[in-house]
Amino acid sequence: MNEALGYFLIAWMDPGLIGLIAAGTLAGIYIGAIPGLSVTMAVSILISFTFKWQVNEALALMCGIYLGGVYGGSRTAILLNIPGAPSAIATAFDGYPMAKRGEAGAAIGLTTIVSVIGGFIGIGALALAAPAMSDFALQFHSRDYLMLAIWGILLVGSLSGESLYKGIFAGALGVTIGTVGLDPLTAEPRLTFGSMQLSAGISYVAAMIGFFGVAEVLSQVHDIKLKAVRQDVSKILPSWGMVKKYLPLSMRTSGIGVVVGALPGAGGDIAALLAYDHAKRSVKNPSRPFGDGAYEGLVAPESANNAAVGGAHVPMLTLGIPGDAVTAVIIGALYIHGLNPGPMLMIQTPHLFWFLVGALCLANVFLLIFGLTGIRVFCKIMEIPKPILLPLILVLSTIGAYAINNNVVDVYWMLGFGVFGYFMKMYGFQVAPIILGIILGPLMDRSYRQAMISTEGDLLAYFASFFTSPISLTIVVAMALTLITQTPWWQNWRKAKTA
Amino acid sequence: MHIQRRRLAGEVVFALLLLASSLFLFWHSYKISGFSSYTSAGAYPMVTTAVMSISAIIILFQTLRIARVESAPGQSLLFQFYTQVTPTLIVVFALSIVGYMMLLEPLGFVISSYLFLVISMWLLGSRRLLINLLVSAAAIGFIYIVFQTIFSVAVPKGTLIQGLFK
Repeated sequence: MNEALGYFLIAWMDPGLIGLIAAGTLAGIYIGAIPGLSVTMAVSILISFTFKWQVNEALALMCGIYLGGVYGGSRTAILLNIPGAPSAIATAFDGYPMAKRGEAGAAIGLTTIVSVIGGFIGIGALALAAPAMSDFALQFHSRDYLMLAIWGILLVGSLSGESLYKGIFAGALGVTIGTVGLDPLTAEPRLTFGSMQLSAGISYVAAMIGFFGVAEVLSQVHDIKLKAVRQDVSKILPSWGMVKKYLPLSMRTSGIGVVVGALPGAGGDIAALLAYDHAKRSVKNPSRPFGDGAYEGLVAPESANNAAVGGAHVPMLTLGIPGDAVTAVIIGALYIHGLNPGPMLMIQTPHLFWFLVGALCLANVFLLIFGLTGIRVFCKIMEIPKPILLPLILVLSTIGAYAINNNVVDVYWMLGFGVFGYFMKMYGFQVAPIILGIILGPLMDRSYRQAMISTEGDLLAYFASFFTSPISLTIVVAMALTLITQTPWWQNWRKAKTA
Repeated sequence: MHIQRRRLAGEVVFALLLLASSLFLFWHSYKISGFSSYTSAGAYPMVTTAVMSISAIIILFQTLRIARVESAPGQSLLFQFYTQVTPTLIVVFALSIVGYMMLLEPLGFVISSYLFLVISMWLLGSRRLLINLLVSAAAIGFIYIVFQTIFSVAVPKGTLIQGLFK
C-alpha cells in the first residue's frame, strides 16, 4: 500500500511532471474546445514527438490533454452550439439554450464542477477496479482476448456510426492494415506486394495522424466560413447550494460514465448520451424542460464523459484493449515506450499504473483551476479564424508523421490515409474503428492463432471452446446482443413497443 | 444510432471501389498460403479481408437504397460530385498539401512550411497578407524551437538548400 502511495505521489512531487500535467490540461481544454481539433488528433501527433522522452513524462502530458480535452469540448457546445468533441454532443442540448438566456458563465461553472466530480469518481473506480480486474484477466484465454477485441471494434463501429456494416468494414480495414508486413510467426510477407518498404509494415502513427488529423482538417474546410459568436461569460462560480442539489445526479451519471467507459470501444460520447437519456427519464421536475436549458441536462453528460476517462483506462491497462479511440492511441504510445498493456503490466510495472492514477488526479485538480479561470482569454482564442488554424494543424501533423522515422514516406502515408479518411467521413464512415483495428490487429492475430493451435487446428473444437468457459460465453453473449440490437428487426420491435 | 440521410454524388462509386479493393486484398491474402491451414500466415488476413468484402457488399446495397440528394435538372454526376464532395477549395487546399509534402525534403522544414502556411492561409480566405506573413513566421519559429529543444525532433533541413551552400 505504501509502495502504491509512493508511486501515486511521483507526479505530485516532481516539478517537471507537475508542469507537464498542467500544460497538458490547459492545452487539452483548448484543443477539446476548438472545433476541428480533437484530443485523439492531438495525442496521435504527440506520440511521434514524445517517443524520445521518459515514459512518465509522455504519459503525464497525454493524461492532461485527455482529461482537459474531454472537458474542453463542452465549452464550444455551450457557447456556439458546436460540440468541440463528440463527448460534448449531449452538452449542447441544454448548454446552448442556457447561453442564449445569458447564462453561459453559470453553465461553464457548473460544467467544470461536475466534470471534476465525474473525473474523480472515474479515477477512483480505476484505482479500485483495475487491480482486481488485472488478477481476473489472468484467467482469460487467448480466445477471450480475440472476442473482446472484436467486441470492442463492433461497439465503437455500431454505436457511433450511421451503419453497423460501415463500422465493421472500418474495423476490418484497420485490422488488415495492421497485418501488412512480415508475419510475426513465420516471417512470410503479407500484403506487401513485393515492396521492401511495406515489409516493415505501415506505421500506425502515420495512419492515426492521417485519419484523425488530415482527414479532419479537410472536412473542416467545408464549413470554413462559420464565425464565432460572443457570449456573456460573467459569474462563473456556481453556488454551494446548486452543487449540493445536483450532486446525486452527478454521482449517478458518473457511475454510468465509468461503466460505459470501461466497455471496450465505448467512450465518453456514448456515456454522455446515455447519461443524458438517464437524466431525462429519472428527473421528474427538472429546473427547466430538457432541451430548453435544464441544469440537469448539463450535469448528466458532463459528469459521465469525464468519469468515462477513468473507466476507459481499466480495459486499456488490464487487458490491453482500448476503452475508446484516445486510449487506443495511448496504447500505441505505450508500445513505442516498450510497454505491453495487459494483465502483466500491473504485475511487472505497478509503478506505471499508480503513477497514471496520480497523474490523472493531478490533471483533475488542474482542470478545476483552469476551468474556473481565464474564461475571457479562452473566448478570445476561440475566435482564431479557421483559415489560420487549419494550415497550422497540417504543419504539425506533417512534422509529426515525419518525426516517426525521419522519413518522408510516412508523410505520404499520412496524406494518403488523410484523403481516404476524408472520403470515408463524407460518406458516413467512422474512422475510430480503423484505429482500434490497427492497434488491436496484432493482438487479435496472436490470440486467434494461439486459440487455434490449442485446439490443434480443429475448427469445431475451436468454436466449441467459446461456449465452454463462463468468461468466453459472457463475451459471446455480449457480442451477440450488440449485433442483435443493431438489426432492423430489433429496432422495429423497440419502436412498436414504445409506440 | 442510425441516421437517415441523402446519398451524396459518388457514394455508389466509392462503395464499389471499397468492394473491389476488398476483393483484391482477399485474393492477395489467399495467395499467401491458400487454404493450407487455419494457422497459416495467410489465414488471418483472409478472414479480415473476407469480412471487409462481405460488409462492402452490404454497404453497396444499403447505399443504393438511400435516396439521392436532390439536384438541379441537367446537372451531371461529376458536377454534383464536385459541388457536394470536392469543392474547389478542398481540391486546391489538398493540392497545396501535396506540394508542401513534395517540397519538404528539398527545401527543408522551415522554408516549405512557411510557404505552405502563407499560401494556404490565403487560399482558405485569410486575405490579410501581412498578418499571414507574420503569423506564419511566428508559428514556424515557435514550432522549430519547441521541436528542437523540448521534443528533440529532427526536422528536414532541405537537401537543395544544403546543396546550394556546400
